[in-house]
Formats: sequence, structure tokens, C-alpha cells
Amino acid sequence: MMILAKLALGTATTLMVAGVYTFREGTIRVDVDEQREGGAHVHIWAPAAVVPMALHFVPDDKLRQVTERSNEWAPLARIAARELRKYPNTTFVEVEDGEQHVKVSTVGTKIQVDVTGPEENVHVAVPLVMIDDVIAQIAARQPAS
Amino acid sequence: MTSILTHRTTRPASIALAATLLLAPLATLAPASRAQEVTVSSSSSATSERWLHVRVIDSGHKGETVRVNVPLEMAEKVLPAIHKDRLHNGKVQINHSDIEGVDLKALLEAVRSSKDGEYVTVQSNDNDVRVAKQAGYMVVHVTEKGFKPGKLEKDDKDKSDKSADKSERSYERSRVDVKIPMKVVEALLSAGQDELDILAALRALSAHGGDTELVTVKSDDSTVRVWLDSKNVSD
Repeated sequence: MMILAKLALGTATTLMVAGVYTFREGTIRVDVDEQREGGAHVHIWAPAAVVPMALHFVPDDKLRQVTERSNEWAPLARIAARELRKYPNTTFVEVEDGEQHVKVSTVGTKIQVDVTGPEENVHVAVPLVMIDDVIAQIAARQPAS
Repeated sequence: MTSILTHRTTRPASIALAATLLLAPLATLAPASRAQEVTVSSSSSATSERWLHVRVIDSGHKGETVRVNVPLEMAEKVLPAIHKDRLHNGKVQINHSDIEGVDLKALLEAVRSSKDGEYVTVQSNDNDVRVAKQAGYMVVHVTEKGFKPGKLEKDDKDKSDKSADKSERSYERSRVDVKIPMKVVEALLSAGQDELDILAALRALSAHGGDTELVTVKSDDSTVRVWLDSKNVSD
């Protein structure tokens, strides 16, 4: 009986640690809704920690194109991601063009891009911490020159 | 006895261990929540922050509107990381041939080192241009004139240029107002001979107190406004 209780405690603790670790960086949200008849409706909600983890399994040759030119954009993206964290709940860019509306903003600790229009609505929210982690990984996998 | 002791000590120890294990993940969350507190407090102290706003309203048939809000502090950090074309380390290279022989730097330097006053006044059929330095600001006003068909009123006739077509009535087609603090102009010129120090200008702009209207463009179909204040929203 005691052994079973210990096993249950161990499993519960492991699951909780895994859960907290997985969700510590928040979640990525991608919503794509095409307005036309039979249009696609894609809704993805995933823990952000999965992305840096998944990057480990991307073969080097597939990632080369990104890593080779990362010197050009990675420092800028990293600084921007860090700085954006200082401004939660702020709209940085907003464009309204007739029926189309584009908004780039921070919502809490996430960067959110919303595109709404007569043909489709796209909403993407990505935790800024995750961007930092992904860039760090890409930089680490840069081929030695 | 030994077994009772062992049982008595191991039970609380195992409970403590279990509690620690259960609470450990929460401890890993603590930095994140602290970070959240920092960001929230930074947002609430946003009054001391300086924001650069750009608003473009196109009143054409589609009615396009663009709003950009940039915290100057963020711009100061991000700008040195941009290395593209002529922009490097927050400085932009200027080529004299690009600005049709006008030595922009010499022009700005002349305005900077002069006393307050009106430096350039051009009045023509098509444009009125005024460049002045007043109360620590460099001020530029440009008015583009247009002509509408129609008879001139008596007063307008008197005011109008004699060379203008009498059957057309002149009106203000577009108006550009630029008002830049002189300290920003000085900072802009603080780089080398053929470059403008955008980063230094941003810092000077950041240090400039009060709400400032930097650029206003009004034309028949569009309005552009660039201004500086302490709010993180443009309206």
C-alpha cells in the first residue's frame, strides 16, 4: 500500500514538474480562419517550450539556410524580443486599409499579430521568451567559420 | 524502539520531501512571476517614458490609416543592432550626390551656430518655404499651392501674382510643418563628416521634455503626424 502511494506521489510529482516546465514559457497560439465557403480553419495551441525542444531534432542541413545568415538578423531580433518584454499590452503598429486590419502588439509577455480581413482572419501569439530561446539555439548551431 | 524511531523520523521527512518536490516547480515559476511584476511596474511608470508616434491617415477611397508607437528607449537599444545599407551602429552615411549637391550637414551646421531668426523665405507661385530658428527649435514650413478653376474674388485678385492665370483660384494644396529641437539637430551632426548620428538624435529626443509636435503634413488626401509624448497610445 505504502509502495503504491509512493509510486503515485512520484508520478504526480513528475507530471507536475513536466507540466510546469512545458508551460513555463507560455503557449503559442495560431488561428487561421478563411472566410470563404469550405475555407480552412486552423487552430493551434501548443506549449512554447516545445519549439526550442523540437529545434534539437531538425537536421543541420535543413537549418543551415537559417543559421548561415543569422548573424544579420539574430542580434536585432534578440534585442527587440528582450525590449518588447518591457512593454506589455502595447500596440506598436496598426494599419487599417479599408476592410483589412493589421495589428502588431504585445499582450502580456507575448507578441501578437492580428490580421483581419474580408477573406481571412489570422491571429498569432508567441511568447517573447520563446523567441529568445529559439534565436539562442539557432546561434549555437551556426556552423563554425 | 529503533524501528519506531525510524518510522517516526522517516514519515515527516518523506512528507517534507514530497512537499518540497511538489513546491519545487512553483519555485521555477517564481522568476517568471517576478519578471511579470517588473514589466507591470515598468508599464505603470510609463509616464517618464518617451514615445515617438507616427500617424498617417489617407482619406482616399480606401481610407488607409497607419499608426506606429515606438518607445524611444527601445529604439535606442534596437537601432545599433541594425546593419543594413547605409545604416550602421545607429549612424547613417550620407552621400552629397544623393541630395542634389546640397551640403545638408553644412546647412544644418549653419542653422545651429546662428542666432534665432528667419533664414530662408521663398515665395513662388507653386511653393512657399520658410526655414527659421526660434526658441531652441529649427522650424521648417513648406506650403505647396494648387490652382482650382474659377474666378478670383476681388481681394484674391489683388493678392495673387500677376503671372498666375486669372481664371484659376490658388489654394493650399499641402502644408508641411517640421519643428525639431536644436539639441536634436546638434546630436544628429555629432558624427563624422559624411554621416548623421541617428542614435544620438534619438537620445537627445528622449531627453527632450514635454510633448512635441515634430512633423505635420496636411494635404488634400492625407495627413501625416509625427510627435513625441509620454503616452503609449497614439489617440
